[in-house]
Amino acid sequence: MTAQIFLQIVASGLLMGLIYALIAVGLSLIFGLMDVVNFAHGEFMMLAMYAVFGAVVIIGIDPLMAMPLAVAALFVVGATAYLGVVQHAMRAKANIGMVQIFATFGLAVLIRGVSQFLFTSDYRNVPAERNLLGGKTIELGGVFLPLPQLVGAGISVLAFVGLWLLITRTDFGKALEATREDAGAVALVGIDKNRVFTLGWGLGASLVGLAGAILAIFYYIHPDVAAPFALIAYVTVALGGFGSVFGALVAGIMVGLAEALTATILPPALKSVGIYALYLGVLFIRPKGLFGSL
Amino acid sequence: MLSRREFAGGAAALATALSTGARAQAPQEVKIGALYPLSGASAQIGNDAKTAFETAVDIINNAHPELDLPLGKEPGLPGLGGAKIRVIYADHQGDPQKGRAEAERLITQEKVTALVGTYQSAVAATVSQTAERYGVPFLSADNSSPSLHRRGLKYFFRAAAHDEMFSAIMFDFLDSLKKKGQKVETLALFYEDTIFGTDSSNVQRKLAGERGYKLVADIKYRANSPSLTAEVQQLKAANADVLLPSSYTTDSILLVKTMGELGYKPKAILAQAAGFSEQTFVDAVGKQVENYITRGSFSLDLARKRPTVGKVNEMFKAKSGRDLNDNTAREFMALLLLAEAIDRAKSTDGAKIREALATTNIPGEKTIMPWKKVGYAETGQNNDADPVLLQYTGGKFLTIFPEQAAVAEAVWPMSKS
Repeated sequence: MTAQIFLQIVASGLLMGLIYALIAVGLSLIFGLMDVVNFAHGEFMMLAMYAVFGAVVIIGIDPLMAMPLAVAALFVVGATAYLGVVQHAMRAKANIGMVQIFATFGLAVLIRGVSQFLFTSDYRNVPAERNLLGGKTIELGGVFLPLPQLVGAGISVLAFVGLWLLITRTDFGKALEATREDAGAVALVGIDKNRVFTLGWGLGASLVGLAGAILAIFYYIHPDVAAPFALIAYVTVALGGFGSVFGALVAGIMVGLAEALTATILPPALKSVGIYALYLGVLFIRPKGLFGSL
Repeated sequence: MLSRREFAGGAAALATALSTGARAQAPQEVKIGALYPLSGASAQIGNDAKTAFETAVDIINNAHPELDLPLGKEPGLPGLGGAKIRVIYADHQGDPQKGRAEAERLITQEKVTALVGTYQSAVAATVSQTAERYGVPFLSADNSSPSLHRRGLKYFFRAAAHDEMFSAIMFDFLDSLKKKGQKVETLALFYEDTIFGTDSSNVQRKLAGERGYKLVADIKYRANSPSLTAEVQQLKAANADVLLPSSYTTDSILLVKTMGELGYKPKAILAQAAGFSEQTFVDAVGKQVENYITRGSFSLDLARKRPTVGKVNEMFKAKSGRDLNDNTAREFMALLLLAEAIDRAKSTDGAKIREALATTNIPGEKTIMPWKKVGYAETGQNNDADPVLLQYTGGKFLTIFPEQAAVAEAVWPMSKS
């Protein structure tokens, strides 16, 4: 392996890893907040991709401009999912964990089915002529950095900084942290638990929506597109530690690098082996994940 | 204890049931089960297949004297008193286990007469096993793995070519280029990790060895990967004279997009169809790989010689907005061939249809394909299904090989860089 190929693998792994991190962080946030694993997380991402595609085709704007729209739309989707489904699932008296799993899993199946009905099963791509970044790439000393992934990775880093500021510097962030510490006690200081949960779901969905909006620039879009990404997101969250925002960032990058490296050293068909080996290794040493506190 | 009245009632009911049973011998309707991915990553293929079958059903069930096809002239199946064909769809999502369960359901619950499917070869493997167990004929429309007809199944039939036939013509083409003085020495194999990609690569690896080509890359990748960067990186480093991909639509699109992103321009692409013959692939990334070549079972160029091909294509296009392609043409033909055999069998009995299929003998001119004829060998394979090679040039597929079918000279290498 030459130095150039090695650098290319590291660069590609890093860029993809930052996007994996952004996909995973919303999942981690929601889990940390209320111990619910959202099995419709990937479907949220798929909806964001269609939102971008729709905005590009119907309004005729660049996918970059469509990003805020997708993020806003996904905030509504996330909040609605909580108010319409999860809130009710949490009222179960027995087997509450199971009820939540089936509720969000059912939501995922529903979203996929309705999407296929509305958008058909065709593979969509953001049209090249309306896509400023699409297909463009810059070369640095023989290492190719695709512009969409580069910008996407930058946006992902900014999103993490923004999320960190939101959690540490704002009242909402404090309420979020407090609710996650003890959802019962916050009611005593006048925090409406339900409102925090609603906003938390909106925020979590927005983050994966942003990831979907980035992916839409360089990835094909269809109702089942999110399945492989969602699988990686669950591993990323478990690896970084359930509920940890910083953990999702570090784990996402690690997963991206592990995937790129395994695909080069082993036959590429085995590249997910690298990811799961990494996860198992961490599991043996730190069962709660790298930055988990549970 | 049964009272006399209950007994009488039961006997009457039994008599009615028996007489309905007797009447059912000349059915109004013949059900055929179609197994396709209607949801999941390959849903688009399944939904296009549905349109292809609807076109075939229209031709079978209604009179189309303008078409020179089996069952085109008369409405319904004359051999079964004009019975109509009805297709019952089942969704296997590309999963061999779901395919097995759905095949079982179609046979036992829906009581279908025969099965057709399945796009993914991995699913055809389980579906055909199930069909064999129940003695129901399975006609493989669009599966190309050669291993499928080598399992000694009596109820398995395939009218179209398999990947050994497809790969042989690909290598014949490369040999002919070499004779013309082109530099074709190194090959790169790139294939997905299910039975389709694996079988295809096995054949290609063997042929490359026999005919003296050097493999500079042999990459098996995970189907539906989120990223193919590392894989394309290896292809780029190898920079073979010809890239031979065996990929379904999602991976084909991602492969070409990633090639663009990593600045890799292959000297030539010779694809094992699948994703590379799909309109969605061409719409998404066709321009980036102008002049790529794919094998095919079907060519619209045939319409110049055979007007029926053009007419069927118009019928299909009116429903789907797309031209017939490698997959939809094979699916259309498969249902027609199945119906033709049922008509000749004059029965919905599995064993009788099997016999009818085994004695099929239809000249190529009575199909929409470039085949010599349709007739199944002992294995269930039609060995006269001659494939063609198509080049994507200026927004269209043109037949470039074999010479007797070609309408254009191949552009080689694909890019002049």
